[in-house]
Amino acid sequence: MRNFVKVFLGIFIVFLLNTIFSKVSPSLILLFNLFSLVTIYFAIEKGEIYGSCLGAVCGLLQDHFSFGVYGVAGLAKTITGYLAGYISKKIDIHPFFRNFIFILILVSVEFILWALLYSFIFPDSVYTGRSLIFFQPFITALLGSVLFLLFRKFKRSEP
Amino acid sequence: MPLFLKEKKNLIILIALILVQFILISIQVPLGQKDNYFERALFSIFSPIQHGIISFFSSIGKIWKNYFYLREVQSQNQIMEKEIFMLRQENNLLTNALQKFRSEKEIQENLLKMHENILPAQVIGLDATNYHKSVIINKGTMDGLKKNMVVLDKNGNLVGRVIGPISLKEARVQLITDNESGIGVFSQQERAMGVLVGDGQGQCSLEYILATTKGISEGEEIITSGFDRMYPSGIKVGKIVSINKTKSLHWQIKVEPYFDFRYLDQVAVIMKDPKEFFEN
Repeated sequence: MRNFVKVFLGIFIVFLLNTIFSKVSPSLILLFNLFSLVTIYFAIEKGEIYGSCLGAVCGLLQDHFSFGVYGVAGLAKTITGYLAGYISKKIDIHPFFRNFIFILILVSVEFILWALLYSFIFPDSVYTGRSLIFFQPFITALLGSVLFLLFRKFKRSEP
Repeated sequence: MPLFLKEKKNLIILIALILVQFILISIQVPLGQKDNYFERALFSIFSPIQHGIISFFSSIGKIWKNYFYLREVQSQNQIMEKEIFMLRQENNLLTNALQKFRSEKEIQENLLKMHENILPAQVIGLDATNYHKSVIINKGTMDGLKKNMVVLDKNGNLVGRVIGPISLKEARVQLITDNESGIGVFSQQERAMGVLVGDGQGQCSLEYILATTKGISEGEEIITSGFDRMYPSGIKVGKIVSINKTKSLHWQIKVEPYFDFRYLDQVAVIMKDPKEFFEN
Protein backbone atom coordinates (compact mmCIF):
# COMPACT_ATOMS: atom_id res chain seq x y z
CA MET A 1 0.00 0.00 0.00
CA ARG A 2 2.85 2.33 0.97
CA ASN A 3 4.59 1.59 -2.31
CA PHE A 4 1.45 2.33 -4.27
CA VAL A 5 1.06 5.68 -2.51
CA LYS A 6 4.71 6.51 -3.30
CA VAL A 7 4.24 5.73 -6.99
CA PHE A 8 0.96 7.62 -7.15
CA LEU A 9 2.55 10.62 -5.44
CA GLY A 10 5.51 10.51 -7.83
CA ILE A 11 3.25 10.44 -10.88
CA PHE A 12 1.01 13.16 -9.47
CA ILE A 13 3.95 15.50 -8.77
CA VAL A 14 5.27 15.00 -12.30
CA PHE A 15 1.80 15.56 -13.77
CA LEU A 16 1.51 18.75 -11.70
CA LEU A 17 4.96 19.97 -12.77
CA ASN A 18 4.25 19.26 -16.43
CA THR A 19 0.96 21.18 -16.23
CA ILE A 20 2.72 24.13 -14.61
CA PHE A 21 5.62 23.96 -17.09
CA SER A 22 3.24 24.00 -20.04
CA LYS A 23 1.63 27.13 -18.63
CA VAL A 24 4.82 28.94 -17.55
CA SER A 25 7.14 28.06 -20.43
CA PRO A 26 6.43 25.14 -22.77
CA SER A 27 10.16 24.88 -23.59
CA LEU A 28 10.65 23.37 -20.14
CA ILE A 29 8.66 20.30 -21.19
CA LEU A 30 11.06 19.80 -24.08
CA LEU A 31 14.03 20.02 -21.73
CA PHE A 32 12.90 17.80 -18.85
CA ASN A 33 11.45 14.36 -19.36
CA LEU A 34 10.13 13.98 -15.83
CA PHE A 35 7.89 11.00 -16.58
CA SER A 36 11.01 9.07 -17.61
CA LEU A 37 12.66 9.85 -14.30
CA VAL A 38 9.69 8.43 -12.36
CA THR A 39 9.74 5.31 -14.55
CA ILE A 40 13.50 4.78 -14.19
CA TYR A 41 13.50 5.47 -10.45
CA PHE A 42 10.81 2.91 -9.65
CA ALA A 43 12.20 0.43 -12.19
CA ILE A 44 15.55 0.50 -10.33
CA GLU A 45 13.77 0.15 -6.99
CA LYS A 46 11.23 -2.53 -7.90
CA GLY A 47 12.48 -4.33 -11.00
CA GLU A 48 11.75 -4.62 -14.70
CA ILE A 49 8.06 -5.64 -14.53
CA TYR A 50 7.18 -2.79 -12.25
CA GLY A 51 9.25 -0.49 -14.49
CA SER A 52 7.57 -1.56 -17.71
CA CYS A 53 4.04 -1.29 -16.24
CA LEU A 54 4.79 2.12 -14.79
CA GLY A 55 6.41 3.10 -18.08
CA ALA A 56 3.17 2.26 -19.88
CA VAL A 57 1.13 4.44 -17.47
CA CYS A 58 3.59 7.35 -17.56
CA GLY A 59 3.74 7.07 -21.34
CA LEU A 60 -0.03 7.46 -21.60
CA LEU A 61 0.18 10.57 -19.43
CA GLN A 62 2.95 11.98 -21.58
CA ASP A 63 0.88 11.25 -24.67
CA HIS A 64 -1.95 13.21 -23.10
CA PHE A 65 0.34 16.24 -22.81
CA SER A 66 1.47 15.86 -26.40
CA PHE A 67 -2.17 15.68 -27.65
CA GLY A 68 -1.00 13.01 -30.02
CA VAL A 69 -1.60 9.34 -30.42
CA TYR A 70 -1.92 7.49 -27.12
CA GLY A 71 0.67 4.74 -27.02
CA VAL A 72 3.61 6.39 -28.79
CA ALA A 73 5.39 7.54 -25.65
CA GLY A 74 3.81 4.60 -23.83
CA LEU A 75 5.64 2.09 -26.00
CA ALA A 76 8.99 3.85 -25.68
CA LYS A 77 8.59 4.17 -21.91
CA THR A 78 7.52 0.55 -21.45
CA ILE A 79 10.78 -0.59 -23.04
CA THR A 80 12.79 1.99 -21.05
CA GLY A 81 11.20 0.86 -17.80
CA TYR A 82 11.98 -2.76 -18.56
CA LEU A 83 15.59 -2.01 -19.54
CA ALA A 84 16.11 0.17 -16.45
CA GLY A 85 14.93 -2.59 -14.13
CA TYR A 86 16.81 -5.34 -15.95
CA ILE A 87 20.18 -3.56 -16.28
CA SER A 88 20.15 -2.14 -12.75
CA LYS A 89 19.97 -5.73 -11.47
CA LYS A 90 23.09 -6.69 -13.42
CA ILE A 91 25.33 -3.71 -12.69
CA ASP A 92 25.76 -1.32 -9.81
CA ILE A 93 24.43 2.02 -10.97
CA HIS A 94 24.49 3.78 -7.61
CA PRO A 95 27.72 5.85 -7.95
CA PHE A 96 26.81 9.33 -9.15
CA PHE A 97 28.66 9.37 -12.47
CA ARG A 98 27.60 5.82 -13.39
CA ASN A 99 24.03 6.72 -12.50
CA PHE A 100 24.24 9.78 -14.74
CA ILE A 101 25.53 7.74 -17.71
CA PHE A 102 22.89 5.05 -17.06
CA ILE A 103 20.01 7.56 -17.15
CA LEU A 104 21.56 9.38 -20.11
CA ILE A 105 21.69 6.17 -22.17
CA LEU A 106 18.15 5.14 -21.18
CA VAL A 107 16.59 8.54 -21.89
CA SER A 108 18.48 8.72 -25.20
CA VAL A 109 17.23 5.26 -26.21
CA GLU A 110 13.71 6.28 -25.25
CA PHE A 111 14.02 9.53 -27.21
CA ILE A 112 15.22 7.69 -30.32
CA LEU A 113 12.39 5.15 -30.05
CA TRP A 114 9.82 7.90 -29.55
CA ALA A 115 11.18 9.96 -32.46
CA LEU A 116 11.12 6.92 -34.76
CA LEU A 117 7.53 6.07 -33.84
CA TYR A 118 6.50 9.73 -34.11
CA SER A 119 7.94 10.14 -37.59
CA PHE A 120 6.36 6.83 -38.63
CA ILE A 121 2.87 7.93 -37.50
CA PHE A 122 2.82 11.68 -38.01
CA PRO A 123 3.38 13.33 -41.39
CA ASP A 124 5.40 16.20 -39.89
CA SER A 125 8.88 15.95 -38.46
CA VAL A 126 9.57 16.09 -34.72
CA TYR A 127 9.41 19.64 -33.36
CA THR A 128 12.83 20.41 -31.90
CA GLY A 129 12.04 23.79 -30.29
CA ARG A 130 15.18 25.39 -31.75
CA SER A 131 17.16 22.21 -31.00
CA LEU A 132 16.20 22.34 -27.31
CA ILE A 133 14.84 18.81 -27.45
CA PHE A 134 18.33 17.41 -28.18
CA PHE A 135 19.45 18.58 -24.77
CA GLN A 136 16.62 16.61 -23.14
CA PRO A 137 18.58 13.39 -22.43
CA PHE A 138 21.52 15.29 -20.92
CA ILE A 139 19.44 17.66 -18.77
CA THR A 140 17.10 14.87 -17.66
CA ALA A 141 20.04 12.61 -16.78
CA LEU A 142 21.73 15.37 -14.80
CA LEU A 143 18.57 16.19 -12.88
CA GLY A 144 17.81 12.51 -12.39
CA SER A 145 21.22 11.60 -11.00
CA VAL A 146 21.10 14.51 -8.53
CA LEU A 147 17.54 13.67 -7.46
CA PHE A 148 18.25 9.93 -7.12
CA LEU A 149 21.31 10.74 -4.98
CA LEU A 150 19.20 12.95 -2.72
CA PHE A 151 16.47 10.29 -2.46
CA ARG A 152 19.03 7.66 -1.49
CA LYS A 153 20.50 9.94 1.19
CA PHE A 154 17.02 10.70 2.48
CA LYS A 155 16.18 6.99 2.56
CA ARG A 156 19.34 6.17 4.51
CA SER A 157 18.54 8.84 7.09
CA GLU A 158 15.06 7.36 7.62
CA PRO A 159 14.79 5.37 10.88
CA MET B 1 2.13 -22.44 -14.55
CA PRO B 2 4.54 -24.38 -16.80
CA LEU B 3 8.24 -23.98 -15.96
CA PHE B 4 9.00 -22.45 -19.34
CA LEU B 5 6.41 -19.68 -18.80
CA LYS B 6 7.64 -19.07 -15.26
CA GLU B 7 11.19 -18.54 -16.49
CA LYS B 8 10.11 -16.19 -19.23
CA LYS B 9 7.39 -14.45 -17.20
CA ASN B 10 9.03 -11.03 -17.30
CA LEU B 11 9.61 -11.17 -21.02
CA ILE B 12 6.03 -12.32 -21.67
CA ILE B 13 4.65 -9.41 -19.63
CA LEU B 14 6.88 -6.98 -21.56
CA ILE B 15 5.72 -8.39 -24.91
CA ALA B 16 2.08 -8.21 -23.74
CA LEU B 17 2.52 -4.55 -22.74
CA ILE B 18 4.14 -3.72 -26.06
CA LEU B 19 1.29 -5.45 -27.90
CA VAL B 20 -1.27 -3.45 -25.91
CA GLN B 21 0.49 -0.22 -26.89
CA PHE B 22 0.55 -1.30 -30.54
CA ILE B 23 -3.18 -2.03 -30.41
CA LEU B 24 -3.75 1.39 -28.82
CA ILE B 25 -1.81 3.07 -31.59
CA SER B 26 -3.54 1.10 -34.33
CA ILE B 27 -7.05 2.07 -33.17
CA GLN B 28 -6.12 5.75 -33.37
CA VAL B 29 -4.28 5.66 -36.69
CA PRO B 30 -4.86 6.77 -39.45
CA LEU B 31 -4.99 10.28 -38.07
CA GLY B 32 -7.85 12.59 -38.85
CA GLN B 33 -10.52 9.97 -38.33
CA LYS B 34 -13.40 10.53 -35.92
CA ASP B 35 -12.35 10.57 -32.26
CA ASN B 36 -12.66 7.12 -30.82
CA TYR B 37 -14.17 6.39 -27.41
CA PHE B 38 -10.80 5.48 -25.94
CA GLU B 39 -9.22 8.80 -26.91
CA ARG B 40 -12.28 10.68 -25.66
CA ALA B 41 -12.30 8.78 -22.38
CA LEU B 42 -8.62 9.49 -21.65
CA PHE B 43 -9.09 13.14 -22.60
CA SER B 44 -12.09 13.38 -20.26
CA ILE B 45 -10.09 11.83 -17.41
CA PHE B 46 -6.85 13.79 -17.65
CA SER B 47 -8.07 17.20 -18.80
CA PRO B 48 -10.21 17.98 -15.71
CA ILE B 49 -7.17 17.27 -13.51
CA GLN B 50 -5.12 19.68 -15.60
CA HIS B 51 -8.01 22.13 -15.47
CA GLY B 52 -8.11 21.84 -11.65
CA ILE B 53 -4.35 22.38 -11.29
CA ILE B 54 -4.38 25.45 -13.52
CA SER B 55 -7.46 26.87 -11.74
CA PHE B 56 -5.81 26.30 -8.36
CA PHE B 57 -2.60 28.06 -9.33
CA SER B 58 -4.33 30.87 -11.19
CA SER B 59 -6.56 31.56 -8.15
CA ILE B 60 -3.43 31.77 -5.96
CA GLY B 61 -1.95 34.08 -8.58
CA LYS B 62 -5.09 36.21 -8.51
CA ILE B 63 -4.95 36.58 -4.72
CA TRP B 64 -1.32 37.62 -5.03
CA LYS B 65 -2.12 40.13 -7.73
CA ASN B 66 -5.21 41.53 -5.99
CA TYR B 67 -3.38 42.04 -2.75
CA PHE B 68 0.02 43.29 -3.79
CA TYR B 69 -0.70 45.10 -7.00
CA LEU B 70 -3.72 47.07 -5.89
CA ARG B 71 -1.65 50.23 -5.89
CA GLU B 72 -0.83 49.78 -9.53
CA VAL B 73 -4.48 49.66 -10.48
CA GLN B 74 -4.89 53.40 -10.70
CA SER B 75 -2.00 53.93 -13.06
CA GLN B 76 -3.06 50.90 -15.08
CA ASN B 77 -6.54 52.35 -15.26
CA GLN B 78 -5.22 55.55 -16.77
CA ILE B 79 -3.21 53.64 -19.34
CA MET B 80 -6.23 51.52 -20.20
CA GLU B 81 -8.45 54.56 -20.60
CA LYS B 82 -5.98 55.85 -23.15
CA GLU B 83 -5.92 52.47 -24.85
CA ILE B 84 -9.73 52.32 -24.95
CA PHE B 85 -9.76 55.76 -26.49
CA MET B 86 -7.32 54.63 -29.18
CA LEU B 87 -9.25 51.43 -29.78
CA ARG B 88 -12.51 53.37 -30.15
CA GLN B 89 -10.81 55.53 -32.71
CA GLU B 90 -9.52 52.49 -34.54
CA ASN B 91 -12.95 50.91 -34.35
CA ASN B 92 -14.52 54.02 -35.84
CA LEU B 93 -12.00 54.06 -38.65
CA LEU B 94 -12.58 50.42 -39.40
CA THR B 95 -16.36 50.79 -39.28
CA ASN B 96 -16.05 53.67 -41.69
CA ALA B 97 -13.87 51.61 -43.95
CA LEU B 98 -16.39 48.78 -43.84
CA GLN B 99 -19.24 51.14 -44.71
CA LYS B 100 -17.72 51.54 -48.12
CA PHE B 101 -18.56 47.92 -48.79
CA ARG B 102 -21.71 47.25 -46.78
CA SER B 103 -24.78 49.07 -45.55
CA GLU B 104 -24.78 50.48 -42.01
CA LYS B 105 -27.66 48.30 -40.93
CA GLU B 106 -25.83 45.19 -42.02
CA ILE B 107 -22.69 46.24 -40.14
CA GLN B 108 -24.59 46.99 -36.94
CA GLU B 109 -26.40 43.67 -37.12
CA ASN B 110 -23.16 41.80 -37.69
CA LEU B 111 -21.39 43.55 -34.81
CA LEU B 112 -24.31 42.84 -32.47
CA LYS B 113 -24.43 39.21 -33.52
CA MET B 114 -20.67 38.90 -33.05
CA HIS B 115 -20.87 40.37 -29.55
CA GLU B 116 -23.67 38.04 -28.48
CA ASN B 117 -21.87 35.01 -29.78
CA ILE B 118 -18.50 35.44 -28.10
CA LEU B 119 -17.48 33.15 -25.26
CA PRO B 120 -14.26 33.94 -23.34
CA ALA B 121 -12.11 30.90 -22.53
CA GLN B 122 -8.85 30.26 -20.74
CA VAL B 123 -5.97 28.26 -22.20
CA ILE B 124 -5.19 25.45 -19.75
CA GLY B 125 -2.77 23.28 -21.69
CA LEU B 126 -0.39 23.17 -24.60
CA ASP B 127 0.82 20.47 -26.93
CA ALA B 128 4.02 19.34 -25.24
CA THR B 129 5.70 17.95 -28.34
CA ASN B 130 5.00 21.04 -30.42
CA TYR B 131 3.32 23.97 -28.80
CA HIS B 132 2.59 25.59 -32.14
CA LYS B 133 0.06 22.87 -32.99
CA SER B 134 -2.78 22.96 -30.49
CA VAL B 135 -3.94 24.12 -27.07
CA ILE B 136 -6.63 23.04 -24.61
CA ILE B 137 -9.23 25.56 -23.42
CA ASN B 138 -11.45 25.38 -20.36
CA LYS B 139 -14.77 25.31 -22.22
CA GLY B 140 -16.52 22.25 -23.57
CA THR B 141 -19.83 20.79 -24.64
CA MET B 142 -21.46 22.08 -21.44
CA ASP B 143 -20.76 25.61 -22.65
CA GLY B 144 -22.14 24.81 -26.08
CA LEU B 145 -18.84 24.30 -27.87
CA LYS B 146 -18.91 22.41 -31.14
CA LYS B 147 -16.29 21.30 -33.60
CA ASN B 148 -14.91 23.89 -36.04
CA MET B 149 -15.99 26.91 -33.98
CA VAL B 150 -13.62 29.80 -34.62
CA VAL B 151 -11.24 30.95 -31.87
CA LEU B 152 -9.80 34.47 -31.65
CA ASP B 153 -7.28 36.10 -29.34
CA LYS B 154 -7.91 39.08 -27.03
CA ASN B 155 -7.53 41.51 -29.92
CA GLY B 156 -9.82 39.65 -32.30
CA ASN B 157 -7.03 38.07 -34.36
CA LEU B 158 -7.48 34.53 -35.62
CA VAL B 159 -6.02 31.81 -33.38
CA GLY B 160 -7.58 28.65 -34.82
CA ARG B 161 -10.61 26.43 -34.56
CA VAL B 162 -12.06 23.91 -32.13
CA ILE B 163 -11.20 20.34 -33.01
CA GLY B 164 -11.87 17.10 -31.19
CA PRO B 165 -11.88 15.69 -28.65
CA ILE B 166 -14.30 17.96 -26.77
CA SER B 167 -15.13 16.93 -23.22
CA LEU B 168 -17.74 18.47 -20.92
CA LYS B 169 -15.53 21.36 -19.79
CA GLU B 170 -12.47 21.16 -22.07
CA ALA B 171 -11.78 21.29 -25.76
CA ARG B 172 -8.80 21.22 -28.05
CA VAL B 173 -8.08 24.11 -30.40
CA GLN B 174 -6.01 23.66 -33.54
CA LEU B 175 -3.74 26.68 -34.00
CA ILE B 176 -3.28 28.28 -37.40
CA THR B 177 0.46 27.59 -37.01
CA ASP B 178 -0.19 23.84 -37.08
CA ASN B 179 1.15 22.36 -40.30
CA GLU B 180 -2.11 20.48 -40.78
CA SER B 181 -4.11 23.70 -40.75
CA GLY B 182 -5.24 25.38 -43.97
CA ILE B 183 -7.20 28.64 -44.24
CA GLY B 184 -8.58 30.51 -47.22
CA VAL B 185 -7.13 34.03 -47.08
CA PHE B 186 -6.35 37.09 -49.16
CA SER B 187 -3.97 40.00 -48.86
CA GLN B 188 -5.81 43.14 -47.88
CA GLN B 189 -4.32 45.57 -50.36
CA GLU B 190 -3.74 43.49 -53.46
CA ARG B 191 -6.54 40.98 -52.77
CA ALA B 192 -4.25 38.14 -53.79
CA MET B 193 -6.00 34.91 -52.78
CA GLY B 194 -4.22 31.93 -51.35
CA VAL B 195 -4.20 29.25 -48.70
CA LEU B 196 -2.49 29.92 -45.39
CA VAL B 197 -0.71 26.84 -44.05
CA GLY B 198 1.06 26.62 -40.70
CA ASP B 199 4.72 25.61 -40.64
CA GLY B 200 4.62 24.04 -37.18
CA GLN B 201 7.34 26.45 -36.07
CA GLY B 202 5.24 29.46 -35.10
CA GLN B 203 4.80 30.95 -38.54
CA CYS B 204 2.65 30.32 -41.59
CA SER B 205 3.21 30.26 -45.32
CA LEU B 206 0.90 31.70 -47.92
CA GLU B 207 0.56 29.12 -50.67
CA TYR B 208 -0.67 29.17 -54.26
CA ILE B 209 0.06 32.83 -54.98
CA LEU B 210 1.21 32.78 -58.59
CA ALA B 211 4.63 34.24 -59.34
CA THR B 212 2.91 36.44 -61.92
CA THR B 213 0.95 38.22 -59.17
CA LYS B 214 2.38 41.69 -58.79
CA GLY B 215 2.11 44.37 -56.11
CA ILE B 216 2.15 42.04 -53.14
CA SER B 217 4.63 43.33 -50.56
CA GLU B 218 6.10 42.69 -47.13
CA GLY B 219 4.07 44.07 -44.24
CA GLU B 220 0.79 43.56 -46.08
CA GLU B 221 -2.03 42.32 -43.90
CA ILE B 222 -3.61 38.90 -44.44
CA ILE B 223 -7.29 38.35 -43.67
CA THR B 224 -9.62 35.39 -43.99
CA SER B 225 -11.53 35.12 -47.26
CA GLY B 226 -14.28 32.75 -46.17
CA PHE B 227 -13.82 30.64 -49.28
CA ASP B 228 -12.81 27.62 -47.21
CA ARG B 229 -16.34 27.70 -45.74
CA MET B 230 -14.77 27.22 -42.35
CA TYR B 231 -13.57 30.62 -41.20
CA PRO B 232 -15.82 33.65 -41.79
CA SER B 233 -14.34 36.37 -43.96
CA GLY B 234 -12.69 39.52 -42.66
CA ILE B 235 -10.81 38.16 -39.62
CA LYS B 236 -7.28 39.47 -39.26
CA VAL B 237 -4.72 36.67 -39.45
CA GLY B 238 -1.24 38.15 -39.73
CA LYS B 239 1.15 40.05 -41.93
CA ILE B 240 3.60 39.11 -44.66
CA VAL B 241 7.18 39.06 -43.40
CA SER B 242 9.06 37.74 -46.41
CA ILE B 243 8.49 37.07 -50.10
CA ASN B 244 10.90 34.93 -52.08
CA LYS B 245 10.98 33.81 -55.65
CA THR B 246 11.32 30.08 -56.25
CA LYS B 247 11.73 27.86 -59.27
CA SER B 248 8.08 26.84 -59.01
CA LEU B 249 5.05 28.73 -60.31
CA HIS B 250 4.31 30.29 -56.95
CA TRP B 251 5.82 32.82 -54.60
CA GLN B 252 7.24 31.58 -51.33
CA ILE B 253 5.54 33.86 -48.82
CA LYS B 254 6.04 33.76 -45.05
CA VAL B 255 3.30 35.15 -42.82
CA GLU B 256 3.68 36.00 -39.17
CA PRO B 257 0.42 35.44 -37.26
CA TYR B 258 -0.90 38.35 -35.23
CA PHE B 259 -1.74 36.25 -32.21
CA ASP B 260 1.16 36.12 -29.80
CA PHE B 261 1.71 32.62 -28.58
CA ARG B 262 3.37 33.82 -25.33
CA TYR B 263 0.29 35.80 -24.28
CA LEU B 264 -2.29 33.27 -25.33
CA ASP B 265 -3.77 32.84 -21.87
CA GLN B 266 -7.26 33.99 -22.79
CA VAL B 267 -9.11 33.47 -26.05
CA ALA B 268 -12.58 34.15 -27.45
CA VAL B 269 -14.67 31.45 -29.09
CA ILE B 270 -17.25 32.55 -31.65
CA MET B 271 -20.24 30.49 -30.55
CA LYS B 272 -21.65 30.04 -33.96
CA ASP B 273 -21.58 26.97 -36.08
CA PRO B 274 -19.30 27.88 -39.00
CA LYS B 275 -21.93 26.54 -41.41
CA GLU B 276 -24.28 29.33 -40.28
CA PHE B 277 -21.85 31.94 -41.55
CA PHE B 278 -22.18 30.59 -45.03
CA GLU B 279 -25.89 29.82 -45.14
CA ASN B 280 -26.94 33.18 -46.59
